Amino acid sequence: MVVVLRPKRAFKLPVEAECITPDSFAGKSVDEIGKLKVWEGNRERSLNELFSVEGEIGAKPEEVMVKIFGDVHKVRRIGTQMSAGEIVVHGDVGFHLGEEMVGGKILVDGNAGSWLGSMMKGGVIEVKGDAGDYVGSAYRGSSTRGMSGGTIVIHGDAGNELGYYMRKGIIKVHGNVGQFTGVHMKNGIVVVYGNSEGRSGAEMTGGKIVVCGSVPSVLPTFTVEAVKSRVKINGEKLAGPFYLFKGDIAEEGEGKLYISKASNAHLKSYENLV
Amino acid sequence: MDIAIKDGKIVEKVEGKGVKVIDASRMIVMPGGVDIHSHIAGAKVNAGRMLRPEDHFKDVEVKTEKTRSGVGHSIPSTFTTGYRYARMGYTTVFEPAQAPLKSRHTHEELNDTPIIDKGAYPLLGDCWFVLERLAKGMIEECAAYVAWTMRATKGYAVKIVNPGGLEAWGFGGNMRNIDDTVPHFNITPREIVQGLCKVNELLHMPHTIHVHTNNLGKPGNYVNTLETMKCVENLAHGDKPVIHITHCQFSAFKGRDWHTFASGAEEIARYVNNHSHVTLDMGQIVFTETTTMTADGPFQFILYQLTGNKWINGDVETETSTGIVPFAYKRKSYVHATQWSIGLELALLIKDPWKIYLTTDHPNAGPFIYYPKIISWLMSRRAREKVMRKMNKRARQKSLLSTIDREYTFYEMAIATRAGQARALGLRHKGHLGLGADADIAIYNIDPTSVEPSKDYQLIRRAFKHAAYTVKGGEIVVKNGEIVKSVDGKTFWVDVETSPSVDEFVPRLKQVFEDYYTVQYENYVVPEHYLAVSCPVHTKAEI
Amino acid sequence: MPIISNVTCPVCGSLCDDIEILVENNKVVKVKNACGLGESKFLNYNGHRLRKPLIRKNGELVEASIKEAIRRSAEILADAAYPILYGWSNTSCEAIRVGLELAEEIGGVIDNTSTVCHGPSVLSIQDVGYSTCTLGQIRHRADLVIYWGSNPWSAHPRHIERYTAFTQGRFQASIWYRYLAHLSAYRARRRLLRALKLSSVREAPTIEAEAGLPPTLFRKERKMIVVDVRRTRTADIADYFLQVEPNKDYEVLEALRALIRDEEIDMDTVAGVPVETLEELADVMIGCKFGVLFFGVGLTMSMGKLRNIDTAICMVRDLNRYTKFIIMPMRGHFNVTGSNVVSTWQTGYPYAVDFSHGYPRYNPGETSVVDILARGESDASLIVASDPVAHFPKAAVENLVRNPVIVIDPEPTPTTLMADVVFPSSFVGIETEGTAYRMDHVPLPLKKIVEPPSGCLSDMEILQRILAEVRKIKRETAEVA
Repeated sequence: MVVVLRPKRAFKLPVEAECITPDSFAGKSVDEIGKLKVWEGNRERSLNELFSVEGEIGAKPEEVMVKIFGDVHKVRRIGTQMSAGEIVVHGDVGFHLGEEMVGGKILVDGNAGSWLGSMMKGGVIEVKGDAGDYVGSAYRGSSTRGMSGGTIVIHGDAGNELGYYMRKGIIKVHGNVGQFTGVHMKNGIVVVYGNSEGRSGAEMTGGKIVVCGSVPSVLPTFTVEAVKSRVKINGEKLAGPFYLFKGDIAEEGEGKLYISKASNAHLKSYENLV
Repeated sequence: MDIAIKDGKIVEKVEGKGVKVIDASRMIVMPGGVDIHSHIAGAKVNAGRMLRPEDHFKDVEVKTEKTRSGVGHSIPSTFTTGYRYARMGYTTVFEPAQAPLKSRHTHEELNDTPIIDKGAYPLLGDCWFVLERLAKGMIEECAAYVAWTMRATKGYAVKIVNPGGLEAWGFGGNMRNIDDTVPHFNITPREIVQGLCKVNELLHMPHTIHVHTNNLGKPGNYVNTLETMKCVENLAHGDKPVIHITHCQFSAFKGRDWHTFASGAEEIARYVNNHSHVTLDMGQIVFTETTTMTADGPFQFILYQLTGNKWINGDVETETSTGIVPFAYKRKSYVHATQWSIGLELALLIKDPWKIYLTTDHPNAGPFIYYPKIISWLMSRRAREKVMRKMNKRARQKSLLSTIDREYTFYEMAIATRAGQARALGLRHKGHLGLGADADIAIYNIDPTSVEPSKDYQLIRRAFKHAAYTVKGGEIVVKNGEIVKSVDGKTFWVDVETSPSVDEFVPRLKQVFEDYYTVQYENYVVPEHYLAVSCPVHTKAEI
Repeated sequence: MPIISNVTCPVCGSLCDDIEILVENNKVVKVKNACGLGESKFLNYNGHRLRKPLIRKNGELVEASIKEAIRRSAEILADAAYPILYGWSNTSCEAIRVGLELAEEIGGVIDNTSTVCHGPSVLSIQDVGYSTCTLGQIRHRADLVIYWGSNPWSAHPRHIERYTAFTQGRFQASIWYRYLAHLSAYRARRRLLRALKLSSVREAPTIEAEAGLPPTLFRKERKMIVVDVRRTRTADIADYFLQVEPNKDYEVLEALRALIRDEEIDMDTVAGVPVETLEELADVMIGCKFGVLFFGVGLTMSMGKLRNIDTAICMVRDLNRYTKFIIMPMRGHFNVTGSNVVSTWQTGYPYAVDFSHGYPRYNPGETSVVDILARGESDASLIVASDPVAHFPKAAVENLVRNPVIVIDPEPTPTTLMADVVFPSSFVGIETEGTAYRMDHVPLPLKKIVEPPSGCLSDMEILQRILAEVRKIKRETAEVA
């Protein structure tokens, strides 16, 4: 059963709509959903002041599918703590999409803002476009609250500090990533099919990062272990060869960093060490 | 029985029209709560706040007509601190660790901490000036310095943290024994404690010396704690206490290492039961995520190495240090569960409630918002057993608690949470409801004639969490657990009259000041107008 | 002629409090003990300044009464749905307290200049903590002083003399005499460079290829090292200057951390520095009795930003296993530390605090003013003692001036020119007293040494009056409703 939300106008101020989740919609009427509270700047408004709401609502979260049509790139925290059901955004979406998500699925046609899936615990997020910085990250200062489960797939590019303090789960980026992918990462998997701007795995203590494209360099605190012909990630085989680095030794880390050999001729000197 | 209030004081009776009446029938009426040791304001607390956005972001206080907004959890912002204490019926709280050089900061924060009365204890156990005078046996000059410090920093009591250890920490060292010599200063922790105890007596300070022992948080430290208490035994006169060992739970560890770790509560309790010169506070553990923060820099470094959590160190020139490490107490951990047990064992084995007070050394062993939980543990064996069933098995088996039947009565509870603390602090107008007392009153919605705390511990917990009324200085500030009015609390500080006057000592101090500090003498002193509501407590010294 | 002593200098984060000032007829005529920056501020502050409130009418800034300006400001702020309150680093803690109350009242976002200087340092501290101290500890104990990406000789001129290498401490002597040697070497080098230039050698040599570290670094006495991407005046007086390639500080720090842990590195050079040199540097750091690393915006604002500081802090933290080591940011504005401190005790967060939901929220990048402006989300602004129009990126400035701007500042700036309401305020620390925090979080009193011109209120008074007026407007609106 599908609920359709359409923004009634273009937003200039940040809109915070934690209530747009299958969990808070489930079992409510269209009217009741329209009365849920959202913030536009410092003004509290009801959802139907900003969005038109129509459709049918399931009784349980897993029976709710929320479809959003239109530009919601100023709308933040959609899908916060959702546990089941589905959200589909046809357009660009703002910060903190799927924050602390536990289950269910979010699909974005366009681009997603920063802090996508931050503190995520479970479920699936898929973004067809690009994502901002801090994908699957922790809240500021919380080494124990990084992404702890679930899957994030980004078909475009992602920004800096993806997987900051990540603990579990998997993030795949089909495009390129910025710097500091997997910074302070403790566990979990990050796969970058495109290029990286470098400093991947900085201060990581565990987990796996795979970069299939090019990197400008590898941090001095990673030591080369071997050249691997392929990497297996959750059953998916990535064809290599890959340099396997271990680090970050500055943190006595046991993290694994796989860097494509083919795309990184400048790393050839490392082969002398294995 | 009626209690009459006029002009912020308890009086014999009030008459006339417009008298406001609170019906407290079938409720418990107590003096406002007093907290002798809670880190609520100052440089260290604020560094902890800054360090931990993740501690705050899920625990917020929204602005209302009457209140400012803020955040918790373990290191609440200043406004939130005041409101949350008041909601529990607490009206007086002391910040126990003020780096003298940064006392302006403490007072700025205390000014922004609403409702409660407050004060701060300057850290003096590692001040160069103190160490040098005491090493040379110049007790009177040291006393003059302490008197000056109280005035200059608007301080209330002499605080000693890991005596000598913090000076040694300046170069990364520590004190391992009460008779170790402090590098460069030719003095031992024992001599520092004894010396400052003598100074405290000479100055007739309202509170005793307030001591955080050496080796705090290390297995086997109870021996050191007993030594510290013993070393001032012969300085006591009559039944008057001369030393307060704070957050004693952290100083009552037995064992050689963390594997053989055990409770030393029995030994400490035995000593305290047989001596009258000591008071203690609990430093009771609560199983939660919190933030540890003490002036004990070397201890906090050890804690960082144990946990790997983020760590702040902040040494203060010529005076003291600071350390902060986030920490989670887990009931499945043998050590943490044993610590939980030690705190309660101390409170239950020490017979006289005037000798041991309820604290969590906020936020070190847990945030102060958990006091109602601790009250329920003290008042109900059943409440304790409920926790024990879930905790680490080895800790449960070794805990003395299963052999202790004692349950605090309401009177004992009132002593441990207000009367005893007020007496220890020398606050004559607090901690009781007699004529002339400050009209700081907490009313809890609980009928002592029908409620059995032993069984109804949940009721007790709920009632102490949200006071039905809190009256501060004669004004109703809390009703049904909500703030209905915000008032400014007083800041207590000790103004010691010495002869010759402290002013005559200033030139001698000024001589060394430039050699010691990186600020000018004049800019070090906190003027009285700096305090929002200044309340000097006058004493007359023997010097 | 009164001489006022123990004056705190309201210029940089060093907050020297030993300034002596001679005042004649309410004018500063002589300044003692201050550095060039301080002296120039005390002597010249009163030259070019604002004296009357201004309001923009029909596109022109025209003089107005203070009452009118207060009312106009309060209307703008009470009406705003996402206002920003920015600046705060050049005013007193007392003013900042009122600013925070105002921000809470109007549901705005309050942010200080650390958002564009040491904000990243704060973020990294929140990740990993830090080991620090007050400057006196360094004075008495430090035998190794490192300045990384900061140039105190120019930006904090008395820092070295008052707090670090040239100060006389209890356990460490001053090394000012070595400075004389460095100075003559510096002069000789300058002469040589000039000669080379005259003899038409195109490229003057800048990086000296030094083999290993000078033996002085292994002595017991105090020593000073400078790490930077280019040779600075501070580098010239240091015992050793380590030049690293731009934007490679992160790699150097990481490598040092590994070396301190006695790990092997798979590279020969890092950021243009031979690994042997780094090994020796690591030995010097481990071998000292008390080391300190000061870092400036050269480290915080170069590529890697907060992560540069993150790993620098971790390096210092790791060093504490072997010796005593301290790290400290070189804060710029005289009370930028205070603005962090006051914001933290009132809200729990040091900067970028968003009150739009009625309680403090914090997420730099999202709630930081420069980012809000870049995204064009705010609809009004109050700027206190700061000049974002001159310092912010173009897109942010465009969005700033597209909406009403209120400025409180003693001096005319590009921002006041673009404003809708301008309040001339008095100079904090010269015409108004208050409290400020030194870079090491030591609070110091700021003095009032002369009277402000009539009509120039203090920042605090102006803010209090705006706050009172906002509350009045809100009451009026509530009554109408």
